[in-house]
Amino acid sequence: MKRFLKPAVVAAAAMMLFLCAAPAALASVDVPYDSYTYNYREYVEYTPAPYIPAGSVTGLSLNIGEFRNPQDISIAPDGRLLVADTDNDRVVIVNAEMTEALMVIEGFDNNGTPDSFNRPFGVTVSDRGLIYIADSLNRRIVVLDETGLSAVQIIENPQSDMFAAEYVFTPLKVAVDYADRIYVISRNVFQGLMVFSPEGEFMSFFGTINVQISVWQRVWRALSSRRQREVGILFIPTEFTGVDVDDDGFVYASCIDPLGEQAAFRLNPKGEDVIKTGANGNVGGDLDWMPRGAGTYSGPSYIVDIIIRDKGLYSILCSRRGRIFTYDFEGNLLYIFGGMGAQVGTFRTPAAMAHTGDKLLVLDSGRQEIMLFAETEYGRLINEAVGLRFDGDERLAVDLWRQVLAINENLELANVGIGKAYLTDGNNSEAMKHLRLGMDRTYYSVAFKRYRNDLLKENLGAILTVAVVAALALYIWNTVKGKGGRKGDLLADD
Amino acid sequence: MTKYFTRDNLYYFRRTLTNPVDSFYEIRHREQGSVPLALVTVFAFSLCFTLDKIFAGFIVNTVDPRSVNGLTDLVSVFLLFGLFSVGNWSVTCLMNGEGRLKDILVVTGYSLMPLILTYIPAILISNVLAANEEVFYTVILGFGVAWTAILILMGIMTVHNYTLLKTLITLVITLVAMFLIIFLALLLFDLLNQVYGFFFSVYTEFSLRG
Repeated sequence: MKRFLKPAVVAAAAMMLFLCAAPAALASVDVPYDSYTYNYREYVEYTPAPYIPAGSVTGLSLNIGEFRNPQDISIAPDGRLLVADTDNDRVVIVNAEMTEALMVIEGFDNNGTPDSFNRPFGVTVSDRGLIYIADSLNRRIVVLDETGLSAVQIIENPQSDMFAAEYVFTPLKVAVDYADRIYVISRNVFQGLMVFSPEGEFMSFFGTINVQISVWQRVWRALSSRRQREVGILFIPTEFTGVDVDDDGFVYASCIDPLGEQAAFRLNPKGEDVIKTGANGNVGGDLDWMPRGAGTYSGPSYIVDIIIRDKGLYSILCSRRGRIFTYDFEGNLLYIFGGMGAQVGTFRTPAAMAHTGDKLLVLDSGRQEIMLFAETEYGRLINEAVGLRFDGDERLAVDLWRQVLAINENLELANVGIGKAYLTDGNNSEAMKHLRLGMDRTYYSVAFKRYRNDLLKENLGAILTVAVVAALALYIWNTVKGKGGRKGDLLADD
Repeated sequence: MTKYFTRDNLYYFRRTLTNPVDSFYEIRHREQGSVPLALVTVFAFSLCFTLDKIFAGFIVNTVDPRSVNGLTDLVSVFLLFGLFSVGNWSVTCLMNGEGRLKDILVVTGYSLMPLILTYIPAILISNVLAANEEVFYTVILGFGVAWTAILILMGIMTVHNYTLLKTLITLVITLVAMFLIIFLALLLFDLLNQVYGFFFSVYTEFSLRG
């Protein structure tokens, strides 16, 4: 027993040691938060920081007075940054270097009459450079021209049979696709996103989230009386929290999932969710969290925003623990970083995200500050390697994955990347080795099948020879033995 | 040593696989069973159980290697084995069963033989399987489990001289008895713990005042 167990125990001990040693050995950059990912067995695996804090932008640094409760940021196609400075009732445009405010929009020209905002909550810029502002308490969406001086369109008071009688339009977040259709998240709308035509007509609801009822709730409902059911809690789908549109017109939206399983949605033009989930079937942020009620830090990730980045990558932002989760187009979790705190690079109330070039921007409405995060070597390698895979150049990605492995040997994704490249190259045994390290059973199996076939093909002669000889030997043995007479079994004829 | 593993013992051990009713009869009525042999079988089974977790092929093996502990497996297999035997014995004693504890131990132990015989080829085969072929591994193991279940059923039936229905009923009651034993053991453990705690606190009190 011991002989068999010892290697396993030693291997397990060594593995534990490596896991524990990893963060200390790799923390070459001192960041005020944990960077980690989850491995196949859903254990936390600490990684080097994919992004490091790179300063911040505040109202004071821009010389325009503190932001007050800013709720949304957006990057224009030309790289300028727009901030919805909600409680100051203004929208600020910052230059691409984030050093100075180009423009502070406090009022605009609405068909000849001066007009202003009331709690502008969301802001976005269309491909044509028009600025869309969710002017929440004025109950309208304002579309400004490129200069930001005058309104070209005002969308207010949408009409439809689908609205409840006492419904009040309160737009919070807004996104625009390539055809200038407008997607709006509105307060107290549970049917999904509101879609407006380029002319500003309400078209439909979009991407309704299905209500999830647990088995226990179902049993409880079945046991309760009609009266109890009437006055009991309503099962209402959660609202979307963030929305973004990619170049192909797919709408990405985030929501708060009470189960922590799916916080990101990818909606096709019909409004169906077509998001892909990775090996663990989860695009909802953290995998292991304490149950609700075990302190303020407990509960599933509370996803407040989503952004689409280049090459199918997307990131979601958790305001409960201040973490940013990045997934690739296949739903694989790439890296997690960020945390709560008062240092540069940590958050109090993260509210929205944006990205430009190799920088990530996170708006903290509590600290009234925009944090900048710069890509590290590690983050860049992963982003590029995943990008190459997205483009179908898997073999070019091998070099990058190798460099990733040199920095973080535990990353399963890198091993899978290398393994798949070996597989396309026809090097099956190397592919098997890496795919096994990457815990990818599907592709491992493909490599293994090919390897097995090759082995059989090469050695078919030898195998058949051995089989024939063995059969012959057995036959001869039996004949010889048969002559000597069968040794009677003990008590054979009892 | 040879006293425990005589030729006859080994012969009936082997014969159990193919002629369970006959050999279980011999074991009960002609003293052909060997408890040490049964214990060795249980030990071998626990070994196979652990080996499967470590060496089964990557495709079928979802066990986290860090969670494998052969000693834990050994202890739990033996505990379950003892619990079942004692539970069955205490039930059948009251239900006119003819088997002694010794017979039940032998029957249960010998019945694990098919599982050992199927675990080993299953582990070997699993290492040359690709995805979609896992069914071979599952079928082999399932076969072993079914065989073992039949052997236990027949064995219990034979040594107690029961009908099939009565055997099934006793097996269900055995399950209840096992839970009862666990419950009582936990209760006893907890009570002893409290008694110990009481004396310990008395001792602490005196030593601090002393």
